[in-house]
Amino acid sequence: MADFTLQGSKVLAVRMGGDSVKAKNGAMVAYDGQMAFKRLSGGGEGIRGMVTRRLAGESMTMMEVKGTGTCYFADRASEINLVQLGGEKLWVEASNLLCTDGGLRTGTAFTGLRGASQGNGLFTTTLEGAGTAAIMSDGPAVVLRVAPGMPLTVDPGAYVAHTGNLTQQFQSGVNFRTVIGEGGGEAFQIRFEGDGLVYVQPSERNTIGGDV
Amino acid sequence: MTPPVSAPVIHDVNTLPSGDNVNPYAFSVDVQGQWFLQKGKMIAYYGQLSFDGVGHGRFDRLLAGSFHSPMHAADWVVAEGSGKMLLADRSFDINSYDLDDGNLTIRSGNLLAYEPGLALKQSIIPGFLTLIGTGKFVAASNGPVIFAEPPIRVDPEALVGWADCPSPCHHYDHQYLRGVLGGVRRLTGLGGASGEEHQYEFVGAGTVLLQSSEQVMAARPTGATPGQQGVPRQRGGVGGLLDM
Repeated sequence: MADFTLQGSKVLAVRMGGDSVKAKNGAMVAYDGQMAFKRLSGGGEGIRGMVTRRLAGESMTMMEVKGTGTCYFADRASEINLVQLGGEKLWVEASNLLCTDGGLRTGTAFTGLRGASQGNGLFTTTLEGAGTAAIMSDGPAVVLRVAPGMPLTVDPGAYVAHTGNLTQQFQSGVNFRTVIGEGGGEAFQIRFEGDGLVYVQPSERNTIGGDV
Repeated sequence: MTPPVSAPVIHDVNTLPSGDNVNPYAFSVDVQGQWFLQKGKMIAYYGQLSFDGVGHGRFDRLLAGSFHSPMHAADWVVAEGSGKMLLADRSFDINSYDLDDGNLTIRSGNLLAYEPGLALKQSIIPGFLTLIGTGKFVAASNGPVIFAEPPIRVDPEALVGWADCPSPCHHYDHQYLRGVLGGVRRLTGLGGASGEEHQYEFVGAGTVLLQSSEQVMAARPTGATPGQQGVPRQRGGVGGLLDM
């Protein structure tokens, strides 16, 4: 299996011995050894996945990197966070996904209003299987545990990814005060309940709900 | 041999620090009661918190004691309840400061949150806010904050705030601007400027806070101060003093 390590916090080094990884198209910055870079149409999910992604608008341009040696990945000096998956599922925005083990299955999932409030569309990307994934965030991500009786509320703009058995509930505090410019500033929130981990970044994307 | 993948630190409501940094870019506040914060700086929270604009009628008494900046009212909200709240701002460095019956003036765009034990007042210098009292506040800076002692001249864009010392005055490099080379450059625009012909000058006893960058944090235009004799006018923009 490919060996993921971080060089500093903004460059990912992946050592491969003949196996493959999937990475964001164009994210390779250097490599040694013998590597082949193959653009994956539709994220390597086959015809069905391609159609789903096109319909969902959750476009993801990935490449398959295969060979022997070390390949270095980075993207706009974003912070990189490694996530170890042991059979569970990771939900992440396609734009935050840098690199995954070749053995992880990718797919799309419906997120509902949460995605809409982030300005990311109604769908998100899922990863499933055993292996490592590298996700990007603006500033180092903070990993927060959600347990029964310990729900977590997250600003949609700071949400990066989550794993585990979580239910998401979209909360909107929009009321007449928001309309007259006296809103609470945190009108859109996602509430996570259940058992799992949530990755948040110390920064907020510009969201539709950001200024409300 | 490369080290193995280190497991990330996982925080929950019990392991999150209270009133301390989680990492240089995120700050955890243990809210028991009320906190003031700028809109949109909360990234996540555990517990029961509600966020309401400061214009909410319920807060009349709180505002009477702790909020005296009507021009900034649209930017501020009150977090109320009990829980742990994470604050962050565009992945800038975040620090907290404790004031003990003190005063500190800070660029309005850099201030994230403060305890109601402090009173927020508008500085007479446009674009700056003064905190007076006892309590904790949280501020952001682009790069770590450097503390300096007056007498000192600082670049306007690197200035984050100052404590205890008198408000600064402008300093112009008069000799350079009046000299032959500087004069020609100033009059013709040829050769450009070094960008360092103008500084803020601090004198007296106190502390000056600087950031290690000249990127000014965006602050919302806050309108004009009351049109009254003797009140400095703000012409909008983010620079505050720069506009004068």
